[in-house]
Amino acid sequence: MASDSTSSSSDSAYDSAADHNPNSDTPINNHDSAIDDHLTSLTLTPLDEDLAPEKEREIEETDQTPMPEIGVTEVEEEAADVLASEVVVEEERESNSVSATGDVGLAWREEEVEAPASPGSSGYAGERGSSNASSASGIEEIGEDQVAERDGGLVNGVADSQPAWIPGKRHVNEDDTSILWRRRKKHFFILSHSGKPIYSRYGDEHKLAGFSATLQAIISFVENGGDRVKLVRAGKHQVVFLVKGPIYLVCISCTEEPYESLRGQLELLYGQMILILTKSVNRCFEKNAKFDMTPLLGGTDAVFSSLIHSFSWNPATFLHAYTCLPLAYPTRQAAGAILQDVADSGVLFAILMCKHKVVSLVGAEKASLHPDDMLLLSNFVMSSESFRTSESFSPICLPKYNSMAFLYAYVQYLDVNTYLMLLTTRSDAFYHLKECRASIEAVFLKSNVLSEVQRSMLDGGMHIEDLPVDPSSRSGSASSHLGQHSPERFRDTYTSLGGPCGLWHFIYRSIYLDQYVSSEFSAPINTPQQQKRLYRAYQKIYASMHDKGFGPNKTQFRRDDNYVLLCWVTQDFELYAAFDPLADKAMAIKTCNRVCQWVKDVENEIFLLGASPFSW
Amino acid sequence: MGCASSVPDRTARGPNGLNPGGDGPSDAKNLKVKLVLLGDSGVGKSCIVLRFVRGQFDPTSKVTVGASFLSQTIALQDSTTVKFEIWDTAGQERYAALAPLYYRGAAVAVIVYDLTSPESFTKAQYWVKELQKHGSPDIVMALVGNKADLLDRREIPAEEGIEYAEKNGMFYIETSAKTADNINQLFEEIAKRLPRPDTSQ
Ligand SMILES: Nc1nc2c(ncn2[C@@H]2O[C@H](COP(=O)(O)OP(=O)(O)OP(=O)(O)O)[C@@H](O)[C@H]2O)c(=O)[nH]1
Ligand SMILES: [Mg+2]
Repeated sequence: MASDSTSSSSDSAYDSAADHNPNSDTPINNHDSAIDDHLTSLTLTPLDEDLAPEKEREIEETDQTPMPEIGVTEVEEEAADVLASEVVVEEERESNSVSATGDVGLAWREEEVEAPASPGSSGYAGERGSSNASSASGIEEIGEDQVAERDGGLVNGVADSQPAWIPGKRHVNEDDTSILWRRRKKHFFILSHSGKPIYSRYGDEHKLAGFSATLQAIISFVENGGDRVKLVRAGKHQVVFLVKGPIYLVCISCTEEPYESLRGQLELLYGQMILILTKSVNRCFEKNAKFDMTPLLGGTDAVFSSLIHSFSWNPATFLHAYTCLPLAYPTRQAAGAILQDVADSGVLFAILMCKHKVVSLVGAEKASLHPDDMLLLSNFVMSSESFRTSESFSPICLPKYNSMAFLYAYVQYLDVNTYLMLLTTRSDAFYHLKECRASIEAVFLKSNVLSEVQRSMLDGGMHIEDLPVDPSSRSGSASSHLGQHSPERFRDTYTSLGGPCGLWHFIYRSIYLDQYVSSEFSAPINTPQQQKRLYRAYQKIYASMHDKGFGPNKTQFRRDDNYVLLCWVTQDFELYAAFDPLADKAMAIKTCNRVCQWVKDVENEIFLLGASPFSW
Repeated sequence: MGCASSVPDRTARGPNGLNPGGDGPSDAKNLKVKLVLLGDSGVGKSCIVLRFVRGQFDPTSKVTVGASFLSQTIALQDSTTVKFEIWDTAGQERYAALAPLYYRGAAVAVIVYDLTSPESFTKAQYWVKELQKHGSPDIVMALVGNKADLLDRREIPAEEGIEYAEKNGMFYIETSAKTADNINQLFEEIAKRLPRPDTSQ
C-alpha cells in the first residue's frame, strides 16, 4: 500500500510508491466500449445540466429489490441491471472473462482476498483503530443506525493497551457482505476514478474495494458515453453521484431526502476533504491514476462522521448560512473590535465561535468567508480532539476561498466550548498569532465576553413561548431583548404545547447577512428524532422553494400528519415555520408576521451586524 | 474600534519563522530552546509531551493536527533553568511536507518510535536522515523508543536502537508515557547536552 513509511519525501506529502501500471485502467474502457451500443437505451443527463429537464435526471428503476440487499457479485449484476438490460449483463460478463487483467470482476475478487492483510500493512494504523479518530461522544445517529449498536469495540485486538479507545468510525467490521452494513439507511462513499476506495461512512474502506470498483464502473461506464450519471433510483433507494475531477462521491440513501439535498451533502463532503488536503491532491492522480489516497486522510474519520451527522441536525448544511450565538450588542461589539484590530495586523480571518455558533468574526479587507467554509472549518476543529489539548498551528484550506492553497490556522480553545481561530496566509506567523491571542484574551477578560458567552449558552436564544403578542405596541421598548424568557407568558393564549397559535419552531434566514436564526426546541419537538424529522421536512421544503424550475416561489403552506409547515421567501429573508398539524392557516400566517417582526426587534442580539465582510 | 496598539505589531520583529521571540532572551542561567518531536502517527509523541508538561496520561487517542505548541521549564542541579518550547508535530503522512516549518531553527529534535512497531522505527530513521540534511547543524538529537511498558509486544530490541543512535551521534532512551518511566530523564538528559552560551559574555 502507498503508506510505505519510507516513501514520503520532503517536497511532497503526496508522493506515493503505489502501483506502477499506468495502463491498468484500459481494460475497463475496453469493456465499456463492448457494451457501448446498449447505452442508447438509457435516459441520461447531458453534461450541460441546466438544459436537462427534470425527468431526465433520473434513471428510473422499477425493480423493487433494495440495492443493499445483495452480495458482492450480485451487486455487479444489479448495477448493470440498473444501467441497462439483462443482455448487457451477459455481454459484460463475457468481456470480463476475456480480458486478462484489471477487469472489474477479477479485480475485486483479488482485492477481497487481499483485504485482511493490506489495510494496516500499516497494521500499524490499526493500532489506533484503522484510520482513527475519537470522540465517541455525541455522534450517535438515531434512525439511520436502526441496527443495534454493537461496535465490537476495539480493532485488531489492541484492547489491552487502550481500554478506553472507541473508534471514531463505527461499524468498521462491516463490509458489503454483511447484512448490517446493507441495512444502513444512508451510506456515503468517496472513491477515486480508478475505483480505489477513499472513504466510507460504514465499514473499512479497504474491505469495500470491490463495492467501490462497482460504483466506479457505473460512473465511468456512463462517462465514456459522454454523459454523466447523477441519480439512480432503485426501489426506495436513491444513489446520488457527484464527480469532482478524479474524485467520485456517492450517497446511497433510503431516507427520502430530495436529490438536491443529498447532492448538497456530497458537495460538503468533498469540501471537507479539500479543507484537509486542498485540490492539489488531484496532481497525485495525474502522476499515478491508481494512487491510493486513504493514507492522506489518516485520522480524519471523526471529521467526516461528524459532518455527516450534522446533515441531520445542523440547518446550516442546507441553508448555506451560519448562525450566531445570541449576545448583548455591546458585548459582541467589544469582541468584534479586538478581532478587527487583529485582522488589521495582518490576519486574514479572526473567528470566535462557541460550538457551531459564531460569537464574532472579522475578515481582512476584501476577504470574505463563505458560510460553507465556516461550517467545514468549525466541523473540522470541533471534531479533531487534539485542538482541545493545547494551542495548535495547522494548515487548512478553505475550499470556497481558495481551493488550491493552504492557509495556516492558529486554533486555541478559550473555554470548553469557545474557540478562537486566526487564519493567515503566512506559514511563519505562529508567534505573532500567539501574541494576538493573548491580547484578545486580555480584552475578553476586561469586557466579560467569555462569561457572557457562557450565559448565553445556558439561556439559549429565541424561545417560541416568548413571541411577543403584538410587536408594534411595544416597539422600541426595553422588552425587545432576549434573555427574559418567561414560559408563563402564553399559557393562556393557546392551549396546546409549543408557542402561540400552535407555533412549534421556526428558522429565519437573512439573505443579506448570510445568517439564520433558529428558535430553541421545546415540547413537543424535544427528542433528537423529532428534531431530525423536522429538519428533514424543512430541508424538503427548502429544496422545493429553491428548485430552479419553480421560479422565485413566495409562500408555501403544507399540512401533513406531523406538522403544518409554512414557508415564506422574500428578497430579504426566508422564513420556515412549523405548527401544530391542526393549526389554523390564517392564524399561522399572522404568527409568521409576528415572528418576522420579533426577529427585527432583536436583530442586534441574534445577528452579527455591520462591518460585514460578506460582500460578494 | 478598539485601540490598535493593543495588538502586537507583526512588523516589529524580523521574520524569524516559528522560532520563539518575545519574552526574554536566553542567558547562561536561563536557557530557552526550541524542541521538535517527530515520528510516525501513533507512536506517542503527544502523550510524551503531555506527560512531561502536565504530568498526565490520557489513553484515548487524539491524533495531532498540524502541530501543537507547549512549553515547560525545568531546573537543573547547577541552578540553571531550561525552558523548552515544544512543537509536537503530527505524524500523519499528509503533514510530512510541512515538517521543515516546525523543525527549522530547532535546537533539539526528539525522534520517537514505538517499540512494538518496526514500521515506526523505519520512519524514525527517515526523520534522522532528513534532519541531518536539513536541520540546524548543531542540533541535539534524541532517539526515543516509547511504549516500553508493553514488554511482551516489543519488536525492536534495545540494542538495535542503541546501535542506530550511536552511529548517528544521538542519544537513546526508552520511555513510557503511560507509566511516566524515563520521561523526565529524557528532557533532563537533553538539557545537559545543550550547548551553553559562552559564560564570559
Ligand atoms: N501502552 C502505551 N501506550 C501509549 C504510550 N504512549 C502513547 N500510547 C498510546 O498510543 C496512542 C497514540 O499516542 P499519541 O501520543 O496520540 O501519538 P502521536 O505520536 O502523538 O500521534 P500523532 O499525533 O498522530 O502523530 C494513544 O492511544 C496512547 O494511548 C505508552 O507509553 N504506552
Ligand atoms: Mg500527537
